[in-house]
Amino acid sequence: MSVASRVRSALPPRFAEPAGGRPRVAQPHVRPPLWTVHRTLWALVALGGAGIVAAWFLAGAQRFWVNWLMWLVFMVCLALGALFLVALQHMTGARWSVPLRRTAERIAALTPWLVPVAAIALFSLPVVFSWTQPDAASITPLVLKEHWLNRPFFIIRLAVCLGLWVLSYVVLVRGSVRQDVTKDPSLTVRLRRFSPVFMILLALTITDFAFDWVSALEASWYSDIFGVYLFAGAVTTAIAATLLAVMHLQRRGRLPGVTGDHVYNLGGLLFGFTIFWAYIAFSQYLLQWYADLPAEVFWYVQRTSGPMGLVFVLLGVGHFFVPFLALMSRADKKSPTRLKWVAIWVIFMEFVDVFWLISPIQGGGIRLGWPEVSFAAFFVAAGLLVIRRALSLGEDMPTGDPFLAAGLDFHLR
Amino acid sequence: MLEPLFGVLALFPSADALLKAIPQVKERGFTRLEAYTPYPVHGIDEALDLPKSKLGILVFILASLGAICAFLFEWWTSTVSYPLLTAGKAYNGWQAWVPVMLEGTILVGTFTAALGMLFVFNRLPFFGNPMLRSKAVDEITRDKFALVIRPGDGGLDTSAAIAALRAAGGQAIEVVPAPHYRRAGLAWWAKVTAGIGAACLVAGYGTAWAIRTFPTTKPMVEMENQPRLDAQAPDTFFASGRGMQLPPVGTVPRAFMPVLATNPDQGGKALVDPLPVTARVLERGRQQFDIHCAVCHDKLGTGKPWLDSTYEAQPTDLQSSTIRDASDGYLYWVISKGFASMPAYAADISPNDRWAIIRYVRALERSQDAPARDVK
Repeated sequence: MSVASRVRSALPPRFAEPAGGRPRVAQPHVRPPLWTVHRTLWALVALGGAGIVAAWFLAGAQRFWVNWLMWLVFMVCLALGALFLVALQHMTGARWSVPLRRTAERIAALTPWLVPVAAIALFSLPVVFSWTQPDAASITPLVLKEHWLNRPFFIIRLAVCLGLWVLSYVVLVRGSVRQDVTKDPSLTVRLRRFSPVFMILLALTITDFAFDWVSALEASWYSDIFGVYLFAGAVTTAIAATLLAVMHLQRRGRLPGVTGDHVYNLGGLLFGFTIFWAYIAFSQYLLQWYADLPAEVFWYVQRTSGPMGLVFVLLGVGHFFVPFLALMSRADKKSPTRLKWVAIWVIFMEFVDVFWLISPIQGGGIRLGWPEVSFAAFFVAAGLLVIRRALSLGEDMPTGDPFLAAGLDFHLR
Repeated sequence: MLEPLFGVLALFPSADALLKAIPQVKERGFTRLEAYTPYPVHGIDEALDLPKSKLGILVFILASLGAICAFLFEWWTSTVSYPLLTAGKAYNGWQAWVPVMLEGTILVGTFTAALGMLFVFNRLPFFGNPMLRSKAVDEITRDKFALVIRPGDGGLDTSAAIAALRAAGGQAIEVVPAPHYRRAGLAWWAKVTAGIGAACLVAGYGTAWAIRTFPTTKPMVEMENQPRLDAQAPDTFFASGRGMQLPPVGTVPRAFMPVLATNPDQGGKALVDPLPVTARVLERGRQQFDIHCAVCHDKLGTGKPWLDSTYEAQPTDLQSSTIRDASDGYLYWVISKGFASMPAYAADISPNDRWAIIRYVRALERSQDAPARDVK
């Protein structure tokens, strides 16, 4: 008998607990199997942090900030995608997903952490953004965009976006957590009313963020659809992350009543948004390829020629065809192993996507070395720590939601 | 005599009741069960031990074929059959084919799903399903769920089946007889064919009549009446007052380099035949010669026109020694610029085709005056 399974069998079954929730404080001590994972994650944070500091001194400011921005964008995708899932469930009044909503809410715990990461990222403005360079005043498209791309307005927009995101996180998640205690059904109604507002805010802010922090790196370039592109990737990633977290909790018996049918539905959503991402990504590419305007197409030339062309092909195959074919049949979405690996793959592919969007501004080949690995170790481990801590708090399901019973009763027939 | 039996039927008020009843009936030893429901019920395949439908695989294969066919079609039309450069893209601009491939995939996929379901797996057309004669059929298509016990190899004990269904909570139990079933005969197919033919005739003649009766009614005019500049038509948009603009001064169409020399003897010397010596060039020359030249110069180039004597010009005999001794460049100049009453062909025949024609004229000359070694 392995150590892990012995410890797991010693765990108290969650469903035997009294209603009203577990005490918050004792959590880390009650669940020893997290212990080693926990320590590994902290070690990775420390190692990655050291690597990041080394990268600042050895790899050059540009490479440092490019990596920082990639992880900022990736974090924004994951956090906002999770918030979108939560709001989507409120807005549609879906019942099957009520037991899974808390998991998405816990992933959205990344949202407040966006504030320090984005604040630090502001120091990258003079280094990696083409519109802050000294020659920007002589480039016509940049001069025309001056009313939008200037530092004060840029910082104001970032502050507004972050403020709205954190506010939405507080309203959506804290409201839902408060309901665990108060059992007040009117909170559900209020969240249902707030969700459409959030959707509009999300559409505006994620578009602005995508324009400001990704397209504006090459400020001459523009693509109207770019906000939707980032949004499609964000939702796909968030669904994959929720799927992973739900299956993780399910294995530990923390989501009693959540069946393969719930997971099957998440797999269906992942399949759908995979197609949505491909549709948007190809639409953007096709339009720019067709128009072939020098002001636009240089962006794609950078990203489809040379070694980056291989990443472009990998993105088309890996971000679309692999999950598309792997989740197509009904049996595929019923297999937990299949779903787990597809979810991990999709999250990895979203990072490849962000890498493909941002890294080429450095020019010259694929920049993949120890700085990239250090940043990945730091941000992945830190992000997992945040999510794991959030998952260890409070209830695993929204016990105060009046539709929880209906959601647990969900069967495909 | 007992009528041949289709099965024993019972109605259930809900999908859940039906799904609960199935294992109970199975326990009593009845294995050939069929369910009839007003809408697809999740989990019924497993309850009835139905094999996984092969429709999905069929749709996948044919939809992939749809994508491949769309790809090949686009590739063949725009790269092989009629290579066409559009908007400065390369011939193999696969990006532009993707939307067509997507449409092809969806088109073939949906048609396969619908038609495959109806005709391949449900084996339609099938008339006279015994269920249609049951008393329950109205309710099955409305809000009730039916379970039918079919006779196995050893027949069916009707009373035991009724008891099993009743024990499982079935209502309105009835014994459904199998009707005498005939395959559709020749007469039926004749009727169907005649019916389709009649429908086609009515539609065709009806359309013809409608077009003749209401000639000015156009179903769609948006494309015809779009705001655009028509070729050869006056328009107020440009200062010149024409819709069509003249090319800028000094430009020539691609591959139509004009002959600048004004004198055939001098100009001809500078012009050199650029074409390779291949059968294809000669074949092209023959084709172009027959189209443009043969009507006056005759198919053999003898200068005896097919036209009657009212056509007064005397076409040059291409077999004459004057032409034989003239250089290729001289002939090229004449074709391009015209000579005496022969008009210039620069606008009608491409430069390469002009050279091909000259090549063919040389071949004609040799065919009429072949040296002995040619006919060895």
